Amino acid sequence: MDEEKKFSTNEKSGEKVTNQENNSVSRRDFIKIAGAGTIAAGFGGPYFLFPERAQAQQKTLKIIQWSHFVPEYDKWFDGVFTKQWGEKNNTNVTVDHINLTELPARAAAEVSAKKGHDLFMFLSPPAAFEPQTLDMAHVYQEVERKHGKKIDLAQKSTYNPKTRKYFAFSDSYVPDPGNWYKDWWAEVGYANGPDTWDDLRTGAKKIRDKNGHPCGLGLSQELDTSMAVRALLWSFGGAEQDANGNVTINSKQTVDALKFMKALYQESETPEVFTWDPSSNNRAMLAGKTSFVMNAISVTRQAEREHQPISSKIMVCRALKGPVRRMAAEHVMDCYVIWNFADNKDGAQKFLVDYIDAFHDVFTNSQFYNFPCFPSTVPDLKKEIANDPRADPANKYAVLGDVLDWATNVGYPGYATAAIDEAFRTWVLPTMFAKVARGDETPENAASAAEQEYKRIFARWK
Amino acid sequence: MSEMGESSVTVAEAVKSSRSGRIRVRRAGTAQDPVLGTLMFAPAVLYLLAIIGVPFVLAFIYAFSDIRIGSNTIHFVGLANFRSVIQSPSFKVALQNSFIFTIFSQIVVIIGSTILAIALENAFRGRGIIRFLILLPWVAPISLGAIGWKWILDSLYSVINWVLVAVHLYKPYSAPMWLGEPHLAMASVILVHSWRLLPFSTVILLAGLTAIPKEIPEAAEVDGAGFWRVLFEITIPMMLPIISVAVLFGIIFTFTDIAVVYILTAGGPFDSTQVLPSLAFFTGILSGDIAAGAAISLFLVPLLVIIAYLMLRVAARAEVS
Repeated sequence: MDEEKKFSTNEKSGEKVTNQENNSVSRRDFIKIAGAGTIAAGFGGPYFLFPERAQAQQKTLKIIQWSHFVPEYDKWFDGVFTKQWGEKNNTNVTVDHINLTELPARAAAEVSAKKGHDLFMFLSPPAAFEPQTLDMAHVYQEVERKHGKKIDLAQKSTYNPKTRKYFAFSDSYVPDPGNWYKDWWAEVGYANGPDTWDDLRTGAKKIRDKNGHPCGLGLSQELDTSMAVRALLWSFGGAEQDANGNVTINSKQTVDALKFMKALYQESETPEVFTWDPSSNNRAMLAGKTSFVMNAISVTRQAEREHQPISSKIMVCRALKGPVRRMAAEHVMDCYVIWNFADNKDGAQKFLVDYIDAFHDVFTNSQFYNFPCFPSTVPDLKKEIANDPRADPANKYAVLGDVLDWATNVGYPGYATAAIDEAFRTWVLPTMFAKVARGDETPENAASAAEQEYKRIFARWK
Repeated sequence: MSEMGESSVTVAEAVKSSRSGRIRVRRAGTAQDPVLGTLMFAPAVLYLLAIIGVPFVLAFIYAFSDIRIGSNTIHFVGLANFRSVIQSPSFKVALQNSFIFTIFSQIVVIIGSTILAIALENAFRGRGIIRFLILLPWVAPISLGAIGWKWILDSLYSVINWVLVAVHLYKPYSAPMWLGEPHLAMASVILVHSWRLLPFSTVILLAGLTAIPKEIPEAAEVDGAGFWRVLFEITIPMMLPIISVAVLFGIIFTFTDIAVVYILTAGGPFDSTQVLPSLAFFTGILSGDIAAGAAISLFLVPLLVIIAYLMLRVAARAEVS
């Protein structure tokens, strides 16, 4: 449509020049005509002279996403996939990478300016941005037509049941397993590492008492801690909200989880867990300083990539089983949004559909970091991760084969709403657990204080 | 200022008697033309309006509205946002921490900068280099400095802890967690912020110190006053107006600072270093509740207005004296 307008504008300009040329033209008129022609050419670009080129006008697709924890993925995404996609679709694709912690502020700036990228990738469900995003139902429909149903984790993370709108499209999630130091756990009788929260408490204490190495379950105001304490809470039967979005944090199950955390901290941890940022537990594990952390496989992948001798010592385990269930949050949830004000909405939607078509490449180039939200795109997932040539031993990641049995969304058993997101980003749960762990607050009082804060936040997003 | 005005008039008169009328008019216009004066002043006014005025007005509007990060419309909600944030335990802690952070860092800065100013007043070999080094934290971007301190105080790679363990003052795994214990974390952010503000305050005090007529302390010394008596009974009382200026600037810089807390602790451990600017950022920008974020950020405005008023009055007195 825009191209048609450009054509008509140029034709009119051209016609005008011709008519003027038929009359006698003064010097002043000539300058006027030349000026008008220049302006017209400026608006119409080269299509003024070569109209056929307008039909093949190259579009632009601007993407912004995090700097991936596995750098090889970014190399493939920027240098191979987007290039090939751009050539195939006559589109100039630009990809900007920023640090994961800067994503929300950048999104806020783009929304405020009503200008920015066509595709914006969040690492957690961006429910608060819903009024500014395109409904992704059509993208999901098209992808599901080709690849079957999405997993429940994606549904709960990108759908608002009240407005019946998909405010984002999730292509993948990242499991959040435990990482444990093989030799130390074997020395205290856990050759296969901890399997339950009780194993963690007992084994971590033995290791701490034996050789001084602390447990590394974070208690700080950061992403990894937020996921770890949610895993603990759910495993004990507690939750922030119920399936209908009612606050349920103040429960006996929460108090039990808090008591467990206090015991674990006082028996096996040091105050360093209060200082951590998202990369601190990676460093602590790779430095051989800590016996257990909860993190994505970025820890082990870094050790493999840098050929660190410790690589073969760090093992991966499923989410720990608690008194009620075995459950952990996704470590990060890839959520692409298309802003209502994006310049190339059609291109962005097509890109996502094509991206899922190529998801097996995503899976392999992310070195099994990104797990598919459409399982049929990686049909032999279990087989592939059970025999990884980079891993030592090769079946190190086999335990992630049943990840969908124990991975869930932030906000479980409800949806990942804007209120849940605010509670997540203002660190209500890490604060509750940390205060109890240090003995600054009783479990009962901490749960009660958290309930008040959740209710206050939920009231603000009604 | 008045001297400069007189001198321009004198030059203008000299020019008037010796050169063309055109030049004469231009020189006279520099001093008196209101249009030219307004034009010269306009960029500064526009800058203040665009960078400070507009966001300030927007913050007021947002604080009394129901705006969220994705909102397409906003509605007036009265004081609801203020009532809501007051109920938040994080807000109460942040308010208290803002005062602790500001008061203690100003005490450290003023004591430190007074000592430095006195030490640097007299000429000695290498004074220029030392002045340059002291000024560095102020001229370097605060984010870089804070990241440097984050590594110095890191739980795993702290060079301080490495030394403490190496000299057997602490065992491995038992060295202080500078950013992990609430009091140590608060002390750390106070000290890093003081490190940042020290050069600014030192330069101000140094200027004030050099303005004190030398005859007064010299006369006191002749009368038998020692160093400490001269310091506490002559030098510091005479510097009080300029110290007040440094303190008031420091208070405003500290109350409104987010960089040091955000980079070093992100408000942790468990909100024990959370201050109002960082809480406003977490709530308003990262969580999308712009209205609550604006309400948090406006809580200190009345206090800051009073401080700014006092600052201007003290600065005016200092100028007169």
